[in-house]
Amino acid sequence: MSAGEVPLVELDALAGPARDRELVARCRGGDPVAFARLVALHEGMVFNLAARLLGDGEEARDVAQEVFLQVYRRLGRFEGRSSLKTWIYRIVVNHCHNRRRFWQRRGRDKQEVLDERFAASDEGRGGWAVSPYEATRRRERADRVQSALLALSFEQRSVLVLREVEGLSCEEVAATLGIPDGTVKSRLSRAREALRARLVDLLEEGVR
Amino acid sequence: MMTCARVRSRLSDWIDGSLTTREARAVERHVTSCEGCSRHAVELRELGRLLAGLQRLEAPEPIAGRVLDRLEIETRQPALAFLFRGFSAARPFMLPSLVPAVLVLVSVLAGVLALDSGPLPEVHFAPGAWRATPASGTEGNPLFPSADVDLPRETTAVDLPTDQLSGSGEGTLFLETVVARDGSVADVTLLAGNAERAVAVVDALRRQRFEPVRYRGRPVAVSVYRLISRVEIHAPVT
Repeated sequence: MSAGEVPLVELDALAGPARDRELVARCRGGDPVAFARLVALHEGMVFNLAARLLGDGEEARDVAQEVFLQVYRRLGRFEGRSSLKTWIYRIVVNHCHNRRRFWQRRGRDKQEVLDERFAASDEGRGGWAVSPYEATRRRERADRVQSALLALSFEQRSVLVLREVEGLSCEEVAATLGIPDGTVKSRLSRAREALRARLVDLLEEGVR
Repeated sequence: MMTCARVRSRLSDWIDGSLTTREARAVERHVTSCEGCSRHAVELRELGRLLAGLQRLEAPEPIAGRVLDRLEIETRQPALAFLFRGFSAARPFMLPSLVPAVLVLVSVLAGVLALDSGPLPEVHFAPGAWRATPASGTEGNPLFPSADVDLPRETTAVDLPTDQLSGSGEGTLFLETVVARDGSVADVTLLAGNAERAVAVVDALRRQRFEPVRYRGRPVAVSVYRLISRVEIHAPVT
């Protein structure tokens, strides 16, 4: 049994919104095992999003913790109008935004080598092991991409990461950020152009 | 015919498939005939691939354990976080550190009770009390599995009568088994779950036998936690 798994046998037979509803109902009923399950199901996406938005793994871990504590406190207010996933994403983005402001006030804005320290291992996902040269090259590319992301404004970065990295639809991005579809599209367009300009050499290399 | 500037302002929406059919067709027509815009579109698509291909980042240990630790403090629920603590994060020193605290509490309570019932007693915070602390790794003070202490391996498997447990949630049992130095079961404690329903399961667990666990060459007693629900029986969690 891996660390995060709790048997909620009937729950696993459900999928999507039905599972979310059941999970939320049980959490509200004070079932700690259900809440543990909720955390285990979502912690991967929460950490990844926070780490990409903040560019710092330690901070991302703290944010992830705070996010789930807030989820726990606010579950009573979850209305089920959006999916549980977008609701949690929204809390993540808000927390990251607050941290970001806090950092800037403190003048702390370093970046660490995220992909080297926190990337999920390829082997664990059934991927091919790559040569050390290839692994280094990939890491350097990932590092360039992450730096370029951090150079965008927080608004642009969050739409782009939600859309392209997390794979949400434009509608889901709009629901997550609580902004109109049109705003998502125009921010996405500007974010893509800005990132393209920063990474044009990488992109040409990829296209060739 | 659309101008290059207009086309470029629509490329992002075009990639997302959010243009109207008419607009999309106009963009496509332009892109097939304009080398600059075509390259631009290809680069934007490549950018999407680059971002989607970024590796997922993972916290070094599960966040669930930390969150539940914090919630324990906030809501005073029992030690559910045990379930989520990683192997290396098991706390081998927690129990030993509790022993002196309990001893102090017992002597103070004994003192108070004695005061209640007669002449002033002599209160013994005797150093002798320390000798009563079971040695670490014995049945009274078992170790927890960690990087150095292996999980006990079962030698005699028993069928767990789980049919009495209904559903998950309240049908789930959380138990602690203390495996003695000879591999027998020294003690089984129900930590969470319905005590009546647990009787049969606890009896069965007492009949389990394990390969003795060794730590630095000596056989040691080890405490393991298990979570048992009606349908699934999970390996010991640590």
